[in-house]
Amino acid sequence: MLETLLSQTRRVSLWLTWIGGTLIVLSAFLVTLEVFLRKIFNVSIGGADEISGYAFGVATAFALSFALFERAHIRVDALMGVIPKRLHALVNFFGLALLIGFAAVIVAMVWNMVGDTLQHGSRSITPMRVPLAIPQIPWLIGWIFFVISGALIALVALKRLFARDSQGVQALIGVKSIDEQIEDESV
Amino acid sequence: MLTKTLLILLALIGLAVPIAAALGWLGLILQFTESPMPLHRAISDMAWQTSTDFLLVAIPMFVMLGEILLRAGITERMYDGIVKWLGWLPGGLMHSNIGSSALFAATSGSSVATAATIGTVAVPQIAKRGYNEPLFLGTIAAGGTLGILIPPSINLILYGLLTNTSVPELYLAGFIPGFLLAALFMATVVVLCLMRPGWGGDSLSYSWSERFRALPALIPPLGIFLVVVGSIYAGIATPTEAAALGVVAAMILAAFNGKLTLDMMRQAIEGTMRTTAMIMLIIIAAVFLNFVLSIIGLTQALTDFVTGLGWSPMQTMLMIVAVLVLIGCFMETLSMLLTMAPLITPIVVALGFDPVWFGILLMVLLETALITPPIGINLYVVQGIRKAGAMIDVMKGALPFVITMFVMLALLLAFPNLALWLPSLFY
Repeated sequence: MLETLLSQTRRVSLWLTWIGGTLIVLSAFLVTLEVFLRKIFNVSIGGADEISGYAFGVATAFALSFALFERAHIRVDALMGVIPKRLHALVNFFGLALLIGFAAVIVAMVWNMVGDTLQHGSRSITPMRVPLAIPQIPWLIGWIFFVISGALIALVALKRLFARDSQGVQALIGVKSIDEQIEDESV
Repeated sequence: MLTKTLLILLALIGLAVPIAAALGWLGLILQFTESPMPLHRAISDMAWQTSTDFLLVAIPMFVMLGEILLRAGITERMYDGIVKWLGWLPGGLMHSNIGSSALFAATSGSSVATAATIGTVAVPQIAKRGYNEPLFLGTIAAGGTLGILIPPSINLILYGLLTNTSVPELYLAGFIPGFLLAALFMATVVVLCLMRPGWGGDSLSYSWSERFRALPALIPPLGIFLVVVGSIYAGIATPTEAAALGVVAAMILAAFNGKLTLDMMRQAIEGTMRTTAMIMLIIIAAVFLNFVLSIIGLTQALTDFVTGLGWSPMQTMLMIVAVLVLIGCFMETLSMLLTMAPLITPIVVALGFDPVWFGILLMVLLETALITPPIGINLYVVQGIRKAGAMIDVMKGALPFVITMFVMLALLLAFPNLALWLPSLFY
């Protein structure tokens, strides 16, 4: 049951990543258009910087969970060789717990901030006067989804640990091997 | 306070806690123990401002530019093209390794991607042409580091963000040292191959007509480099706008090569967003930690401590360089940059050094960190591509280039104008 839920969550994180990445591609075109209009026709549509800033924030928040599934968060494993092997699972859980804990602190604070935004109907202090709730709500959702994914990953890893599936635990929360990194960064 | 901070940081990093969490928790712990104010409440605002900062939009753009170029099918032809131009030098293909790395890294910005991509094309040539294997591998590992310094570098943007230094100025400052370092790498190969003629493999010579026929293969990466860097230097675009132009140009190039497919873009997006999310989480934590450190007066305390030692500015600078080289042996570059830049730059500025110049010096130190054992990611990447032989070969081969980097550091210390002359023309 848990495992299915995990793979579905991963699926959702991929979709969010694709959506976010598409926002970045669209921003690239928008900013390019702005530069051309400004330099060649001397017209400014204005606001491309602000809009792409929001797109960037939302895209990043949407990808946090995917990066966690991919174990992309950098860890310095210089001492991993010194730590006894049977303690590795403990170290990995500790790292994940701190990462998710820190994200949870952010979510709690952001929750209040978005609440204020909604209550006051805050708008950006730019000519566009964008209602800040529009970019902030999806941004908050990305962070919440990140924390939920992290908790779920921890649960499944714990379950695999009790099932003595140490490879399964490693694949979920271990430090990425160099071969896996090369695999990621080449075609 | 200083000792406590360092101990917590070392413990968290040593326990392989993700860097973002290590920095974030250090900030939270310090604020609860050292500050009467609930500083963590500011974290939402910092996270929002950082997440939507237009300067930082350059990060996903530059990463995406690299991801698209990687898949645009230009690497092999670029490598062959550079072979035709540089192959006659003693050391043959090794110069092409360095040259293509410089060009590829300049546009892609990822040292792992550079070493992996160039390595895959180059490694099969070692046996075919009888090169000295360690040195050949060393050129790939060292060449991959060049992207950190040669603009447009993401690391320079991060340095600019954390130290309030102008990114265009940093880009101008990195230009000469970046290409000088590439030239010094090539000089290292030439000298070694003149001393040990057996190391250089078969000599290669090409006619001028062959060289000119190879030029079209070099136009795409050079063109993108010119679009991106040229538009910044000419004052047409900000770094972020230049990055956006680069993404669009790379997509057009990929389309031209028939590689622009939905599947390719999906992969490029996944790679981009994975890296961006990872970097941004660390940046948010670093910005928060930075804020806590300055509020509780730790940044000032560290500066006072170091300036109170009574050493001359140059002695202090040499000490800082030595410490950073040592840290670089154990720490990965991004985490090193984000933890060290905010702590050390105030000291350096208090001593009367230029923050732009120090940014460039720091980049060379980060490059060194990529190829110094035991933790030098490029060494592992090259070994990973090779899939056989001993790790020590790669380390041996990278050693001459570590020494070259030390020469580069010495040059920057002796002649700060190597970095500062170009920006001084514009600012």
